[in-house]
Amino acid sequence: MSLAGDIETVLSSGVRLAAPLAFAACGEYLAERAGTLNISVEAMMLGAAFGAVAVAGLTGSGIAGLLAGVLIGALIGLVHGVLAHGLAVNTFVVGLVLNALVLGLTSYLIATAAPLSRPPERWPLYSLLAIVPLTWWLVGRSRWGLELRAAGENPQAAAMTGIRVNLRRRQALLWCGALSGLGGAYLAVGEVGSFNQNMTAGRGYLVIAAVIFGGWRLARTLVGCALFGLADALRLALPALGVTLNSQLLISAPYLLALLAMLLFASRHNQPQALGRPFPRGGA
Amino acid sequence: MSALTLRAVSKRYGTVVACDGVDLDIDPGEIHGLLGENGAGKSTLMRILFGLETRDAGTVLRDGEPVRIAGPQDAAALGLGMVHQHFSLIDPLPVWENVILGDTGRIRRAAAQAEIHAVAQRYGLPIDPLAIVGTLSAGERQRVELIKCLRRDPGVLILDEPTSVLTRAESAELFAVLRRMVRSERRAVVLISHKLAEIAAATDRVTVLRRGRVVFRSATRDTDVAELARQMVGRDVSLGAEAAALGLLPATPEAESEVDQTPAMRLRGLVVRPFLNGVDLDVRPGEITGLYGAEGNGQTVLGDVLSGLIVPDAGIVELSGVPVALKRPGALHRAGLGIVPEDRHRAGVVLDLSVAANLVMKDPVLNRRRLRRTAQGLAEEFGIVAASLDAPLRTLSGGNQQRVVLARELSAHPKVLVVAQPSHGLDVGAAEDLYSRLRSCARDGVAVLLISTEIEEVLGLTDRIAVIASGRIAGEMRTADATAERLGLLVGGVAR
Repeated sequence: MSLAGDIETVLSSGVRLAAPLAFAACGEYLAERAGTLNISVEAMMLGAAFGAVAVAGLTGSGIAGLLAGVLIGALIGLVHGVLAHGLAVNTFVVGLVLNALVLGLTSYLIATAAPLSRPPERWPLYSLLAIVPLTWWLVGRSRWGLELRAAGENPQAAAMTGIRVNLRRRQALLWCGALSGLGGAYLAVGEVGSFNQNMTAGRGYLVIAAVIFGGWRLARTLVGCALFGLADALRLALPALGVTLNSQLLISAPYLLALLAMLLFASRHNQPQALGRPFPRGGA
Repeated sequence: MSALTLRAVSKRYGTVVACDGVDLDIDPGEIHGLLGENGAGKSTLMRILFGLETRDAGTVLRDGEPVRIAGPQDAAALGLGMVHQHFSLIDPLPVWENVILGDTGRIRRAAAQAEIHAVAQRYGLPIDPLAIVGTLSAGERQRVELIKCLRRDPGVLILDEPTSVLTRAESAELFAVLRRMVRSERRAVVLISHKLAEIAAATDRVTVLRRGRVVFRSATRDTDVAELARQMVGRDVSLGAEAAALGLLPATPEAESEVDQTPAMRLRGLVVRPFLNGVDLDVRPGEITGLYGAEGNGQTVLGDVLSGLIVPDAGIVELSGVPVALKRPGALHRAGLGIVPEDRHRAGVVLDLSVAANLVMKDPVLNRRRLRRTAQGLAEEFGIVAASLDAPLRTLSGGNQQRVVLARELSAHPKVLVVAQPSHGLDVGAAEDLYSRLRSCARDGVAVLLISTEIEEVLGLTDRIAVIASGRIAGEMRTADATAERLGLLVGGVAR
């Protein structure tokens, strides 16, 4: 194969590998702007990937699979929101528990999600063209987004002006769950065509890294996703191109890149000031 | 008919009665002063009016109609507007987004900005709608708060300690705006304050609260500052430090020591870009040196440098003639510098730790029994009033929190004590107590640096005054030679 052909292969698979990250990143970006550092994005993606394959297998419909993924993601977001904002459990603890729980459940139930017989469907990729501008508009231009940002920056002041901080944060988590679910479902139904144990393999954490890398700005966050997607594609392509490297080292390449990118380029300047800090009811 | 009426409003927190059968009538077209020390129940009353607290008993009437207020939105719908003591603005957002926060419906950016311009013009509150709130001065932020309130056209406007972070000029400007509003638009204004001079100068009627009860009401012109002070504190207030605290008159400084001693602290060429541009300052033992200036001229940053929170870009801090390694955390403290920081919640105390733990925080050994003994001793010595030494510090009043910080810092026997804006948020009694402690501290040979924006405080308390303007010392003089005019010129950067 020619060099140009190689590059084209790597680029196109990079875009496809970046897409699940980009869906989830749109959600995580919005949740973090509202003040929730949502690490259960991994659970959302993995649960959705499983649900999508299971439902697509049952119904024979890719769309049904995607929808199931969105619902499962949103459901996990709802659980996270109730625990972290309703009952004021530490958001990291909630996230870790959910991640472990979903990993365990999907591994246990893996037999119910048989590999799909139909070819992968790539068309949901194009919905990003609508979701990205929509997320940008919601956060930056809508009343809802303004209230989200207020809740993420200074929940006390937001509550003083009559904003229901924890409600907004829960809504943001629902959005995050739905989009992360879409990302996970796309990965399973749109790319791989089957569900494997722990198939997201930490992609949720890459999404969080992308938001930090992006300095809590949407465009730069998506650049981060593209970067990590490309690294993933390169990793997959290198052996085929005749480059032999230690395979364990190769697998960790995107994560190493994420770490490096955060160290070198992340700025905390735009970090929401109340990120990860719970807002107790009636608190002032 | 009164615009706003409270009848027998009561609220208790556990065993503490915050408001006890309060009756209050606010008329349209008046500025009504609500005076009281910290903890007298003023803020609780206002939180009730805004639905941030629920009352235990009593009625609230708006234009004679009983109303239910379950939250800030209800209050706004009833035409109650509030400018909060601690600003309720969101720093990273621009002015216009802050102003429309709490509205409903679609965001109309251009319309919002035009409206801000209109309100700003009408009341003389110039502001750039696109400016990021976090970059504004205290005075400008307050303008934003005011605009945010006024554009909703409130019938009753409530200001909670509006001048606590404002300079004199900014305060005067604020009162002029309020007066115009009351005169020409028949709005009712409630001014909550513990500054007597302010209440006496700016209000039409005054109600004094003490321990949750209304103890005095009068038309402002039928009373005087001394009477108000007596009612507020519940005893006669003598002149001197107290008078300075009340803003009545500058106290005469005590006998000048003519001995020119070597400074205990020497600052040379301190630079923190862009806030400090080469600060040189000497603080001598046995003296109180005042650093006076308008808010935002670098004094906060200087306080942070002396707290060890900021490492300066250039310059040295010498304590007893020895330069301090500023990059080492705690070096200033070890070298004998105690500091009562400007924002005690941010840098002075840990609110959720016990009073005792806050008192002995700097003690290296964690022996519970000894810590308790030390804390007990300090609490007695400094007259700290707390339900228990194990209670979280959060439960103490502002004055007592400030005493905890002061007690801790003085217990290390510092050679230099820096106090920044010490009377912010303190009531008269607490400020009075603090002033006399600073004086006795200086008498014991400690070099005291008082960073303050209150001219009465500086004139009444210090032996020497340095004026800071635009991050430089604009001039220095003995307090005996200082006049308000001369200081004013230096602050404005006019004279040298």
